[in-house]
Amino acid sequence: MELYVAALGFGLVSMSVIAIAAVGFTMQFGITNMINLAYGEVMISSAYVAYYLNKAGISIWIGMVGGALFGAVFSFLLNRIVYAPFLRKGTSHIGMVIVSLAVSLMMANVLLPIVGYYSVSYQDTTGGLLRAGGIVLTTNQIVIIGLAVVLMLGIHGLLRYTRLGKAMRATAANPTLARNCGIPTQRVVDAVWLITGALCGLAGVIAAMNSDSFAIANGAGFLITALAAAVLGGAGQSYGAMIGAVIIGIVTELSAAAWAPEYKEVVAFGILVAVMVLRPQGLLAKRGALAAAG
Amino acid sequence: MNSYYAANLLIYAGVDIIALLALNLQFGLSGIVNFSFIVFQSIGAYTAAVLSLPPDTANGGFQIYFGGYQLPFPIPWIGGAVAGGLLAIPVGLVVLRKLRSDYQAIALLVLSIITNEVITNARPLLNGAAGLALVPPPFSDQIDPNTQSYQFLYVGITAVCVVLVFVLASRVVNSPYGRSLRAMREREIAAIAIGKNPVQLKMTVFILGGIIAGLSGAILVGFIQLWAPSVWLYPETIILFAAIIVGGRGNNIGAILGALLVPVGFEELTRFIPTTIGPPGLIPALQWVAIGLLIIGFLWFRPDGVRPEPRRVFEGAPVIEDVDRARRS
Repeated sequence: MELYVAALGFGLVSMSVIAIAAVGFTMQFGITNMINLAYGEVMISSAYVAYYLNKAGISIWIGMVGGALFGAVFSFLLNRIVYAPFLRKGTSHIGMVIVSLAVSLMMANVLLPIVGYYSVSYQDTTGGLLRAGGIVLTTNQIVIIGLAVVLMLGIHGLLRYTRLGKAMRATAANPTLARNCGIPTQRVVDAVWLITGALCGLAGVIAAMNSDSFAIANGAGFLITALAAAVLGGAGQSYGAMIGAVIIGIVTELSAAAWAPEYKEVVAFGILVAVMVLRPQGLLAKRGALAAAG
Repeated sequence: MNSYYAANLLIYAGVDIIALLALNLQFGLSGIVNFSFIVFQSIGAYTAAVLSLPPDTANGGFQIYFGGYQLPFPIPWIGGAVAGGLLAIPVGLVVLRKLRSDYQAIALLVLSIITNEVITNARPLLNGAAGLALVPPPFSDQIDPNTQSYQFLYVGITAVCVVLVFVLASRVVNSPYGRSLRAMREREIAAIAIGKNPVQLKMTVFILGGIIAGLSGAILVGFIQLWAPSVWLYPETIILFAAIIVGGRGNNIGAILGALLVPVGFEELTRFIPTTIGPPGLIPALQWVAIGLLIIGFLWFRPDGVRPEPRRVFEGAPVIEDVDRARRS
């Protein structure tokens, strides 16, 4: 029983990490209509940016900001240089998925000779231990949870109460109509790539912090978990992704306690398959996966 | 160039051609983005391996796996093909029935990553990360596999399979069924409107592709005699997609051309770059980068490939410009 209570504590941390990653992924998809399969590789690249900053003696928290900045700028440029031209050219949805997969492959292999195959880890990331009723967490994990909560509230505020958020929702619903209403959709899309890129970079650093060590091969795993949470919640739905992250976070950690930790991603995949069979539109979206890709 | 190298090259070319004919049926002809294609090849290879291997207590029991039936030649290959087809049924039922096409693609991609992870971690099933080695090649009890004549025999059997698969694929492409598949690829709603059942069409071509993919895996494992998770990571599927995109989607000649240009031509050319340049892993990594650039470059400059799919028109058809305009709108 204690094992499961402790697993619940890890679940809280996991869901925080997944929520940040999944909200970024789902906003990218919802607003720009782009399934960016390079997302996991951008996460791991940002984690490495933070690693090199950390190695140079800079605190990991500042490294985290560096990772987020890298994620934002890189995602913005990726869209501007690769995705947007292909979209303007009228490449099909499937074509775009293939392009993003090619980008992901290239990123992983540009990174590989630079960082090597070996696992690395950040320094001074554990902090003190805090205990509360069977749940044992480090102070850093508490900070991660707090950060996730603040970010989710921030996203909520952005989408609900700001002009930019309103413009984003309008662009997601109908880009042509939004443009005709005078919304500068191009700038909105740029802003979306910057914001989601920052979330992606941040999620990468936090995910790397939360695992004892990380390596280049973790990129695919990051992508799968974010994808599973986003699809579970209903693709393109920010609140859905948050709910999805809570479910995936808890279920994967409990399964790790009950079964084997190396099958965490398999459990996430099991949830993904179950959603695709039982409710392909996800928990919140009305159409989502069922609508024709057009 | 010695004869072993020649046989090796020819067999790889044959396996790639068979695989690409199958992927072309799925992706080129029907528009199913099967990102887990390598899984179907791999189940064929594993099945052929456990059907032809002795029980796992043999060879000092250094590897563990289930099965080990020591069956004679055609059975492991047939078994591999059947296994590929059988795997396509549950996968197709989950993925192809309701989901949007881009969701299908990501579901299949994730399936490919996860399957590899499970097989790597679950050692008792198929010997985990180490994989299966010492897989007996066909007829190895009658002819010594290390002789030149055996290698030519293997090339011959592979060639027969290539021809059979090519004939089959051509029949499919040119049949009314193939026309239905193209109609579905171009505009699914229109195909439904004239009474085609897209789920049924997709399922049959998915299973057919799975069977051929399984066969290609079985042929390959009989020759290289080992199969491990590291040889069927998901990027291997991307190479095959690159080949289809380079060769030209939707026509079998394009698929063959793609096989000869990308997995065979490209890999053989870059093989001669010494791998000692730069830090370890630089040259293989750059090969992957080049594959990515190849895909993006072709999709940008020549999306129809080296040999575009021929436009099928009949006498008295509307003028092509009108058709083009209608397709664009």
